[in-house]
Amino acid sequence: MISIRGLSKWYGAFQVLADCSTEVAKGEVVVVCGPSGSGKSTLIKCVNGLEPFEKGEILVDGISVGSPKTDLPKLRSRVGMVFQHFELFPHMTVTQNLTLAQVKVLGRTPAAAHEKAMALLDRVGLRAHADKFPGNLSGGQQQRVAIARALCMDPIAMLFDEPTSALDPEMINEVLDVMVELAQEGMTMMVVTHEMGFARRVAHRVIFMDEGKIVEDAPKEEFFGTPRSERAQQFLAKILHH
Amino acid sequence: MFAGFDFDVIERSLPYLFREGMVFTVTLTALAMTGGIVFGTALAMMRLATSAALAPLVWLAGAYVNLMRALPLVLVIFWFYFLVPWIGGWLIGARQTIQVGAFWSAVITFTMFEAAYYCEIMRAGIQSVSRGQQSAGYALGLNYWRTMGHVVLPQAFRNMLPVLLTQTVILFQDTSLVYVISATDFLGAAAKVANRDHRLVEMYLFAALVYLVVSYVASRYVGRLQARLAVIR
Repeated sequence: MISIRGLSKWYGAFQVLADCSTEVAKGEVVVVCGPSGSGKSTLIKCVNGLEPFEKGEILVDGISVGSPKTDLPKLRSRVGMVFQHFELFPHMTVTQNLTLAQVKVLGRTPAAAHEKAMALLDRVGLRAHADKFPGNLSGGQQQRVAIARALCMDPIAMLFDEPTSALDPEMINEVLDVMVELAQEGMTMMVVTHEMGFARRVAHRVIFMDEGKIVEDAPKEEFFGTPRSERAQQFLAKILHH
Repeated sequence: MFAGFDFDVIERSLPYLFREGMVFTVTLTALAMTGGIVFGTALAMMRLATSAALAPLVWLAGAYVNLMRALPLVLVIFWFYFLVPWIGGWLIGARQTIQVGAFWSAVITFTMFEAAYYCEIMRAGIQSVSRGQQSAGYALGLNYWRTMGHVVLPQAFRNMLPVLLTQTVILFQDTSLVYVISATDFLGAAAKVANRDHRLVEMYLFAALVYLVVSYVASRYVGRLQARLAVIR
């Protein structure tokens, strides 16, 4: 579904990504972790072309993200993305947030878009908040709306960029529950997160990044059981022994 | 203190002052504001373009804005009054200059001039919307124009509403400079009556009062509008 081959990216002289390669198969859930500044967010933003890259290739459902001939808006409309800071549109109601792209990009009728939006709000348990503005919702509720907004587009894959990092601790689980459910339904997911509990529960594979490189790319059991690299061992020791 | 003054002159000239003068001033302000904000927003979008292919546009918009902001308005009004007929004629390929009345010359001038100021306001407004909002628009499959139109500009506009309207109040006052091309706005009309009847103090006092009231009411309205349109964060 998503294949990343020899991806390198520079900010000026600073190399943020160094020759990263990996594959995400259909229905697979891959967790990307690593210390801050390791390039994991940049990597995931390259997948839907939000960040340009200088070298290498990314194919999403066989379509090259970096090719100038690719219709990027169309490709992005098929790949859902959830951001660390939710990024709901604050001047629109929850429903308007969910229907905008359905109508403008997919060409659905307002009625069909509304119906879809309500179904997804039901699913994340927020139908009662349909007419509120994002600013009136808690962080956890906003992130669930953001997930519903992405799902409204019937994506073939979902990208999560630290979806729980900006949340108060008591709200993390309501968001993770939605994500777990999504994973169990067979959604293809690439998740940048520090939530190792989530990784243990639903991830198929874990990618560990450090200094722009993919240091470890292993099935979950192997990663948590016997991480090969010293860097990954240190990282796990730091975040698990608390 | 006002014993030697004749305030009747105001009452006698009211229909002329408002039907001729104020209508001119308000129409000019409204048209220049609308045109200025539209053109200014386009300039702001050009100035903020990041793609290397658009570098000439960035430069051009920047040069235009800096030039307009470096010139005194009176000079611009004066130059445009003489230049617009030539430029208009050149644009439509006519051999002679085209006829542009003082009113339309003023509308074009103020639109072009104010656009430079509205541009800088909208530029700040666009930059006040976090980059993540733009990314979220793109991530949903919206293209540049739709992301700007539905996500970034509505927020930029709301954030900048007080400044935009303050600029419009300034524009409202600046329209009195059309006297240099002999157009009759509110102040021009008051001046005519003042000179004709030799009632300078009365008329100029009255004109000042009217500008004060209109500007004050407008600023109060800005405050209320802002409260109503504010984005909940």
